[in-house]
Amino acid sequence: MSAARRSRTTRVVDKLRLIGGEMPAWSDRTPDARPPAGGPVMADLVGRFGRCLPAGGSVLVVGPHNDTLIDALGRYATVTCLVRGQPDAQALAARGVSTLCGMLAKLPDTDRYDAVVALDGMDRVCSVEGPQYDWEESLQALARLLRPHGTLLLAVENELGVHRLVATGAATSAHTDAAWRPLGEFDTKPGSPAGLSARLTAEGLAVSWLAAGWPTPHAPTLVATPDALRDGPAGALSATVAAAVGRAYALQPVLSDPRRLAAAAVRAGLGAEFAPLWLVTAHRTPLPATVFAPPPVLFGDGPVIELVPGPDGQWVRHAVGGGDLTKLDGPLPTGRLLEELLLGACLRHDLSDLRRLLTGWARWLEALDPIDRGSATADNVLLDGDAFGLLDPCRPAAPVDATSAARAALRPFAETLITGGYAHPWPVAVDADSLTAVLAGAAGLELDRTHTAHAEAARAAVPDAVRDQHEQLRALAEQLRDLRAQAQWYADQLAGRDAELRRARMQIAAFSGSIGYRIVRFGVRAARRARKVIR
Amino acid sequence: MHHANHFYGHAHILAEYCGLDREDPPRIDGYLQHGWNVLDGLGIGTPYAPGRPIFVWSEQTRRRAWSMGRRHAIVTGAPWLYLLALRAGDDPPATREGTIWYPFHGWESQRVHGDHRRLIDEIRATEPGPVTFCLHSHEYRDARIRATYEAAGPVICHGNRGYQWRNTETRFLDHQLAALRRHRRVASNRLSTAIMYGAVVGCAPAVYGDPMRLTGEDPATAARIRGRWPELHGTDPDPGVAAEIAAAEVGADSVPEPAELRAILGWRGDRAVAA
Repeated sequence: MSAARRSRTTRVVDKLRLIGGEMPAWSDRTPDARPPAGGPVMADLVGRFGRCLPAGGSVLVVGPHNDTLIDALGRYATVTCLVRGQPDAQALAARGVSTLCGMLAKLPDTDRYDAVVALDGMDRVCSVEGPQYDWEESLQALARLLRPHGTLLLAVENELGVHRLVATGAATSAHTDAAWRPLGEFDTKPGSPAGLSARLTAEGLAVSWLAAGWPTPHAPTLVATPDALRDGPAGALSATVAAAVGRAYALQPVLSDPRRLAAAAVRAGLGAEFAPLWLVTAHRTPLPATVFAPPPVLFGDGPVIELVPGPDGQWVRHAVGGGDLTKLDGPLPTGRLLEELLLGACLRHDLSDLRRLLTGWARWLEALDPIDRGSATADNVLLDGDAFGLLDPCRPAAPVDATSAARAALRPFAETLITGGYAHPWPVAVDADSLTAVLAGAAGLELDRTHTAHAEAARAAVPDAVRDQHEQLRALAEQLRDLRAQAQWYADQLAGRDAELRRARMQIAAFSGSIGYRIVRFGVRAARRARKVIR
Repeated sequence: MHHANHFYGHAHILAEYCGLDREDPPRIDGYLQHGWNVLDGLGIGTPYAPGRPIFVWSEQTRRRAWSMGRRHAIVTGAPWLYLLALRAGDDPPATREGTIWYPFHGWESQRVHGDHRRLIDEIRATEPGPVTFCLHSHEYRDARIRATYEAAGPVICHGNRGYQWRNTETRFLDHQLAALRRHRRVASNRLSTAIMYGAVVGCAPAVYGDPMRLTGEDPATAARIRGRWPELHGTDPDPGVAAEIAAAEVGADSVPEPAELRAILGWRGDRAVAA
């Protein structure tokens, strides 16, 4: 055995404690498994959380967490992890992290921590061995571990979250190896932010912060407090939420488009209630000296951006880590997402409004920096009165002229109208090319036929919704029915024209001086004479 | 698609508006609403090819069409509005005088029944100034009816509506526009297309007199029209209100720019006329 390997083995032995109920061959870190809690926003939050911990404090991290989160906490406190799978525990110990491996029920009664972090939720804290705690029992077990002043940082998946509403499979019918007890909504988990707060209070904990997370429970790219969702810039927030959801679900199979559900929930003041995730901090009294109070909104799937109300009431965004995001430092644009305004105008068949929106946008594109034009698509532009603004000015795009930018942006919107089955004023345009051309016309632009073929390459990566597929089937069936009827209509028209042509040819032949003409003339005269005789 | 698209030179006006050859409008793969009506925009008895668009004048007509199962109605506004846009630069007539009176007209399949003489008496008793009678070609060609009106004043006709793409006066609406702009009032015994057109171009409208009846007509429809638009009936309706209603009925807020119309009609590949 090499010295390095011997040293590593020693370190694992030192750092790893098997507490009972451990699963020797189980890992929650396999490629098929749900990724552990993580992502830049969670990392940022955990860093802020760590800074509030008492110097030299102790933290228990329960369940699988991304290494980044564990390392972020490790900078401020002594971290101990609890995982159920032995290979995962060994990997953690090998990284020098004190690790407990086993089931939650076997945690020593005497262990107490300044903080307990469970950002993966409660559904991976029990092993197959021993008692199977439901959510409440897990909460009670974790709450017992807190010292006075101790803080619990907990993530709770919302069983009524948009991610659940659009999922093609039910949580209760999961057939993976990890789903040996798929409780889904039949668990004892609270069903709303208010219910969660009440449940924690009942456990003797004081809730100090609660936020809703999007787009998925385990890697939120946007976290916002209910107050911000309720009182903040609804248009920009709903658009930011929709954008976050759209990125997460690009090309993913879903029942319906989660962007619409998410945005509608935020606009309706139900953002927190329908968010996939709630994050909460709760304290064992008395309260700690420094209470965790992150900005009301944090978002980003690379560099993280914070959103805070400015002194004049206008919300301001600011990049808090990494990347060149100086373009977005400053006031958050206000108003409503152009895409939603356009959809609304289409559904209302409000041609004047549609033309106003599209021509205004096209004119604004001309004045925009060429580098920004490529990202000024309907799903990234806010309109407040007559003022257009870029929601995300850092979306990567190549410099482009205004007409090309408009053309490239209108096609995905045309596809949205068609695939989403949205009613719109131009039902004759049943394909994206035709509808793009009409939209361009309404925007005061003109596309020739070569332009549309070029735009085909830039098809947007959007959620792949079953509802949209059903709509496509319905639309195709309708078109087929119409085309069959049209074919019959044309056949009838043709038969009528053929009959007319036959009559015309007979007349031409009859009056052209041929023998046939003479016979017909003779016949006609004979008929006239006969008629006179009869009279 | 249907010969009614060429009625009154509508297709020709659309072609001109789109910058194409007015004398040879491209085929319209759908149905143009060719007159104001309270149904789905299609003429009565039009053989409709399912799935093809009906280019209707107003959003209200589109809603009606939808409720009648027509899913492919597209609001493009009346061709009258395109003509107004095309002729916007024309000099207005120096003065407007008198009334242009449009007696309710029949068509190839339905004749009008009523007492024209009695109607003329009522018109002369009502109208404050000179009256020009404008007959539809159907009645204009009827020597008896025409003579009845000629005995009462000048009689004009804007031209043939056209039938089966033949005998179409493609400048029909140009003639109508010129005539309406010369008169202060426009009147008829039924609320009709001409009243809408006139109200849109600044004539004070009036609808009064024996409404007469069409062969086989459902009287409920005429009653429904009177009930729906009482503001436009009578000898002296409020011209401001009337203009507003007429603008909505012809779809004044719906007219697309030429590029959009070309795309809607599928005329993008057609050659433009050199300016």
